[in-house]
Amino acid sequence: MRPGHSSSTPFWLTFPAVALMFLILILPIIIAAILSFTDYSLGNVGAEWVAFENYERMLTRRTYIKMIIATVTYVGVVVPASLILGLCAALLINSLKFGQAIYKTIYFLPVMAALLAMAIVWEFALHPTIGIVNEILEDGCTVPWVKFLLSFEFLPWTDPSASWFATGCSEGFPLWLGDRDYAIWTICFIGIWQGFGFNMVLYLAGLTSVPRELYHAAQVDGAKSAWDRFWLVTWPMLGPTNVFVVTITSIRSFQVFDTVEALTQGGPSKTTFVMMFAIYEKAIKENQIGLGAAITIVFLVLVLLMTLFQRQFVEKKVHYS
Amino acid sequence: MKQRHEVFTRTDVAVKLYTEEKMKKMLIGMLAAAVMSSNAVAADKVTIEVGYPYSHLFDVTFQKIMPGFNAAHPDIEVKFRATYENYEDATNTVLREAVAGNLPDVTMQGLNRQALLVEKGIAKSLEPFIAKEADFEKDGYHQAMLGLSTFGGDVYGLPFSISLPVGYYNEDLMKEAGITSQPKTWDEVVAACKKMHAKGIKNPMFWGWNITGNWFMQALMWTQDTPIVKDGKMNFGGSEGMKSLETMKKIFRGCDMQNLSFKDALASFSAGEIGMLFWSTSALGSVTRAKGDAFELKTGPFPGMSGTPMGLPAGGNAAMLTSASDDPARVAAAWTFLKYITSGEGAAAVAQTTGYMPPNKAANEIILADFYEKNPNNKTAVDQLPLLRDWLAYPGDKGLAITQVIYDGIEGIVTGEYDDMADLQEELMEETSDLLPK
Amino acid sequence: MTHIFDIKETLKHAVLIVAAIIVILPFYVMSSYSLKSPSEIEANRGGFIGAQQLMEDDKCTAIKGDVEECYFRPVVYNYTMAFKKAPLLRYLLNGVFVTVSIFILQVLIALPCAYALAKLRFWGRELVFTMVLFCLLIPVHAIALPLYIMLAKLGLTNTYAALIIPWTISVFGIFLMRQFFMTVPDDLLDAARMDGMSEFSIIWKVMLPTAIPALMAFAIFSVVAHWNDYFWPRVVITGNRDLFTPPLGLREFKGDADGSAYGPMMATAMIIVAPLIVGFLLAQKRFIEGITLSGMK
Repeated sequence: MRPGHSSSTPFWLTFPAVALMFLILILPIIIAAILSFTDYSLGNVGAEWVAFENYERMLTRRTYIKMIIATVTYVGVVVPASLILGLCAALLINSLKFGQAIYKTIYFLPVMAALLAMAIVWEFALHPTIGIVNEILEDGCTVPWVKFLLSFEFLPWTDPSASWFATGCSEGFPLWLGDRDYAIWTICFIGIWQGFGFNMVLYLAGLTSVPRELYHAAQVDGAKSAWDRFWLVTWPMLGPTNVFVVTITSIRSFQVFDTVEALTQGGPSKTTFVMMFAIYEKAIKENQIGLGAAITIVFLVLVLLMTLFQRQFVEKKVHYS
Repeated sequence: MKQRHEVFTRTDVAVKLYTEEKMKKMLIGMLAAAVMSSNAVAADKVTIEVGYPYSHLFDVTFQKIMPGFNAAHPDIEVKFRATYENYEDATNTVLREAVAGNLPDVTMQGLNRQALLVEKGIAKSLEPFIAKEADFEKDGYHQAMLGLSTFGGDVYGLPFSISLPVGYYNEDLMKEAGITSQPKTWDEVVAACKKMHAKGIKNPMFWGWNITGNWFMQALMWTQDTPIVKDGKMNFGGSEGMKSLETMKKIFRGCDMQNLSFKDALASFSAGEIGMLFWSTSALGSVTRAKGDAFELKTGPFPGMSGTPMGLPAGGNAAMLTSASDDPARVAAAWTFLKYITSGEGAAAVAQTTGYMPPNKAANEIILADFYEKNPNNKTAVDQLPLLRDWLAYPGDKGLAITQVIYDGIEGIVTGEYDDMADLQEELMEETSDLLPK
Repeated sequence: MTHIFDIKETLKHAVLIVAAIIVILPFYVMSSYSLKSPSEIEANRGGFIGAQQLMEDDKCTAIKGDVEECYFRPVVYNYTMAFKKAPLLRYLLNGVFVTVSIFILQVLIALPCAYALAKLRFWGRELVFTMVLFCLLIPVHAIALPLYIMLAKLGLTNTYAALIIPWTISVFGIFLMRQFFMTVPDDLLDAARMDGMSEFSIIWKVMLPTAIPALMAFAIFSVVAHWNDYFWPRVVITGNRDLFTPPLGLREFKGDADGSAYGPMMATAMIIVAPLIVGFLLAQKRFIEGITLSGMK
C-alpha cells in the first residue's frame, strides 16, 4: 500500500466510472437478459414468460444458422485482411522519405466519413451496369493485356473463355450486392476498406516505439534483408501492439452493422445476416424484443469466449519489454 | 446658493419622480398589455404537434398547405416534429413515444401500420368527430376512402396520400423492340420481354417484389379479388395464393429479371437500360427527375392476370389522432387539422407536390382536374382508384416478422433458390401461421 | 552511386498510390455527386463536374409555379439545399456542442478511474478492470431500447442530456489511459506525494499534463465516433429537429422507395466530413505520439 492517501481514495476515484458502467452498460444487459425469456413487444402493457422458446428458435431455424455463418465469415475475413493491410501500409509509409502525412490522411479518410453517405456512394459504385466498378471492369474487356491477365490466359491448363473475367465480359459482371454468392464478400471488402486505416495508424504508433539499436544489432548478427529484419526485430517488438489491435479489430468486426443496414439489409437470402443486424431486425424493426434480447445474450457469450480465447493464446506468446 | 441648489435638487428629484412615475405607468401598462395579450393568445391559440414521414417528399407538401390553414385557422398553431425516416420508423417512433408518454397529436402512418396502433389503443376513434360533421360526404370523403382506415367498424384515420401500383414504360425502348401498345396482362409482359431480349436489351423489366409490406404480393392477390389475410388467418394457402406465386415465377423467369434493389433498378431505368418498371406511382416524381431528357416516359395501368385486375392495394399513409391530451380544445384543433389536410385545397396539395394522390373525391374531380390534364402520367393511378383495396396488416405483434418471411420467400423465387411453388407455398403458410397470435 | 531516382522508393510510392486510388474512389464519387443534377447522378453521366445545365427545382415549381427563380445550376442547388432544407449550420453547432461535452465528461470520469487502476492498489481492482474489459464488448444496439425507456421515465428524451449522458462512460478511454498511466514512473508520483499533494490533485496537476498525447488519441477516436453517430441520436430525438446532429441532417434527403435527393445529400456529407479532415490533419502528429506512449510497450 502506498502511504499518503486514505484507503477510501481509490473508491472515490473509481466510483463515478463504476456507477455509470453499471447504470448505462450493465443494467440494460441485465434487463435484456430478463427480456430474452419473455415475449415482450414495445407498446404492450405486459409480457408473457416463455422461458427458453426464443433460444430454441435460434437453434432450429435455418435463418440463424445463416446468421452465424455470415458473422463468422465476416470476422474471419475482415480481421486478418485489415490487420495485414494495416501493417503493410504502416511499414511502407514508415519507411518513406516524404509524403507520409498525405498517405496517412488518405488511408484514414474512410474511418472519418459518415457511414450513411458512404454506403449510398458504395451502392452507386457497385451498380451492376452503370456503377463505376463494373464500368472499369468492362473497359478492361477491350484492353488485350488486361484480358490476358485476368482470364489467366497465361496458364496453359485453364480455359480462358470459362474464367470469371471472360464470362463477365460476355454476360455482364455480377450484381455485387444482389447475388447470393458475392454479397458477403462485397460487405467484407467494404469492411476492410473502412477499417484498415484505423489499424494502420495503430501500427504506425507501435513502429515508432521499436528502438533503432535493435536493428543495428540484428544487422551485426547477420540479418541482411528487410525480410529478415522484419521477422527478427519488428514483428516481436510489435507484440503488444498486436494484442491491442487484434482485440479491438475483432470486437469491432463482430459489431458490424451500419454497412449491412445501408446496403443489403441482411440479404440476399440472409447471406449477410450478421448478428448485430439480426438483433436490430428482430428487436427494433420487427418489434420482437424478447427474441432480439436472446440474440444479444448469445452474441455477448460468443464475443466473451473469443476474447478469452485470444487472451489465452495470443497474449501468452507476447513478451513485454 | 444652497437654496438654489436645493430647489434645483428638488426639481431634479421632482422631475425624476415624475418621469419615474411615467415610466412605471408605462411599464405597468406594457406589462398589462403583454399579460393580457398573452392571456389572449393563451386563451385563443392552441398548439398541436404533428409527425410525418419522408421529409424530402412531404416537407414541400406541408409548406404548400400551411399558409391556407393558418389563414383559415389563426387560432391553431401547428408544430412539426422530427420527421420519420420511413413507415416502419413512423410506427416504431410512436410506440416508443407511447411508452415515454409524449405522443404527438396527429401522426401520419403507413396504411398497413394503422391496425397495430389501433390494437394497442394508441390511435383514437374518429367516429365521435365524424358524427358531429354536418355533411362529411360532401367534402369528398367517400366510402372506399374511409374504408382504408376502418377497423372493427370504426374509422380511425383519414387517408392522406395514396398510391397504387402502375407500370412505367420507356417508350423509346418499347418502340425499338416493336411493341406498339402497353401490355394488359402478365403474359403480354413476358411476351414483350422476349421481344426486347431479341433486340439485345439485356434487362428488359423490373418488378417491385421488394417493395415494403409485401405490397406487390397483395397486389396479385387483390387482382383475384382475394385478401391475403382473412378472419385473422393467412389466406394464401389456396388456389389464389398458388396462382400468385406461379405468376411471379413466370414473370421472373420469362424476363430473366435481375435481383436489383429498387435504387439500382431506378438507376438502370433512368439510364435507359430497363424497358418496363412496375412500382408504386409515388416514385413518379423521382423517376421523371432522374431520367431527365434521356427518353420518353409513359405510365400505364397495372396489368392483370387474365384481364384488368379486380382490385389493387392502396399504398401511402393516413393521418391518425393519437393525442393523449386532456384538453378538449387541443383535441378539437387536431381534428380540424386532420380534416383540412385531407380535403379541399389541403388534399390537392398532395398531388401537386408529390407522386401520391389524395383519395378525396372532391379534390380529385374538381380541384385537380386541370392538373391531371397537364400531367397524364399522374392520371394513371387516379384512373385506377375504383380498384382501391386495403393494404392489409398481419394480425398480432409479429406482423413485421411475417412480412419478412414472405419477403424472403419471394426473394428465393427471384434468385432461383425456390423452384417448386407448391413447396414454397406450404413452407410460407406454415412459417407465417406460426407467427400469428395464438 | 546514389541516384536521385531511387527505385525502391519509387516502387513504394507506386504501390501506395494505387492503394490510395482505391481508397479514395468513394470520396471522388461523393464529391462528384455533390456537384451534379439528379439525372446525371442516377444515370452516372457527366464526368466529374457534370454539365452544370440549369435544372428545375420541382419542389419550388410546385409552390411558386414555373418561374425563373426555380431554376438553378446543380452545384448551387445542392449546396444551398444542404444548408436551407436541413438547418445544417445548426446541426453542425449541435455536433460540436455534443461531441465536446461528451469528451470533457468522458475525461472527467475516465481519468481518475484509469489512474486508480494503474497506480493504486486496492481491494476490487481486478474486479473493476474486468468490468471495464467486459463493457468493451457491449454494443450500443443491444442496450439502446432499455436505455431509451430509462431516459423516457426520467423525462429526458429529446434533450441534449439524452444525446450526451449514455456516452459519458467510455471504457475504451479508461483502457487507453490506464495503459498510458502504467508507463509513467512512480518516482514522479512519490515526489508529488512528498510535496503533500492529494491523489486528486496529482491526477489533474501531474498526470494530465504528461498525458496530453494520449488524450489527443482519445479525443480523435471519441470525436470521430460521436460526430458520425447516426443510430443513437435517431432513437432518442423524435420531437424536435433542432436537436439533430450532423448525420441526421443526411436523412432529410432520404425518400426510400419514392426516390431520394442524392445531390444535396452528398453535399451535406461533404460538409459534415470537412471539419474532421481538417482536425485530423492538424492533430495527426500528436495523435500518433499519444498512442506510442500509451503502453504499446
